[in-house]
Amino acid sequence: MIIVTGSSKGIGLAICERLQFLEIEVFGLSRDVSNATFPSTSCDVSSYEEVKKVALKLKKEGKKISGLINAAGIASMNLAVTTPPNVSQKIIKTNLLGSIFCCQLFSPLMMRNKYGFIINFSTIAVSLGLKGESVYAASKAGVEGFTRSFAREMADFNINVNCIAPGPIDTDLLKGISANQIHNIVSQQIIPKQFSPSDISDLVELLIDDRSNSISGQVLHVGGV
Amino acid sequence: MVDIKNDIFQIILNGIESSIIKISDDTQLIGNDGVLDSMKLVEICLMLEDFAEEKKFEFDWTSDQAMSKSRGMFRTAGSLAAEFINQMESKG
Repeated sequence: MIIVTGSSKGIGLAICERLQFLEIEVFGLSRDVSNATFPSTSCDVSSYEEVKKVALKLKKEGKKISGLINAAGIASMNLAVTTPPNVSQKIIKTNLLGSIFCCQLFSPLMMRNKYGFIINFSTIAVSLGLKGESVYAASKAGVEGFTRSFAREMADFNINVNCIAPGPIDTDLLKGISANQIHNIVSQQIIPKQFSPSDISDLVELLIDDRSNSISGQVLHVGGV
Repeated sequence: MVDIKNDIFQIILNGIESSIIKISDDTQLIGNDGVLDSMKLVEICLMLEDFAEEKKFEFDWTSDQAMSKSRGMFRTAGSLAAEFINQMESKG
């Protein structure tokens, strides 16, 4: 079974649908699971206690977890000086602490089997240092740093940890960003085209394949930077 | 409780995978003179989790004080056993 956070929409949902298509058992985590078409549970990943409850439940049920995909994330495009403190805290808590909590609490379920993979999510905003995304970029830069260190900690347990850093993907996170701004970001990628949630799912499919077991601690830039 | 303590010492011994070392209250687990590296420490925690399940309680090895070298439960085999028994008694 693969755990996917942020499973109700955007990239998380696209990944869940791809995994289902591949007939891989999926378990989704999202704040709102009312429309879920696959096994899911309501969970705010920024709450250590809520994530811990889910981990305990899965352990008690004897579920064999083979992977974790941390796709839950929020964004707020704003200059740092005009970002309210509660918004900054929410972004850091969900994007950075949420990924850390899920890694901390779900990885022991994989460590027992000495097998597994974890995929975290960053953004092109980190490597490009995009204006108006400083708090968001800071949260994701944290995810990248965590991924690299955590990959070393997990290597002894045969668990690979990697990070996917997409450019502007057509999801709700892009609300409020103009077509011009998107074009400007995309033009800075090595492959200057806007990729889709399906392209991200392709990359996930590649990373969960056993033939990718030599890849760990890496940040994969979608489209290249 | 002596039996539980001996079981925990045996779990630690199994985790170290050595028949030479004798585990006692004062056996240092982590730090310069510790008998466990980080990987073995985690493996022992997972084994203790399973042992706690047998005893019908949840062993929490992620508390704030767990990794504190000076007062944490991983300081010595004795402190780890004491914390395990303490959690068993308070949650049981």
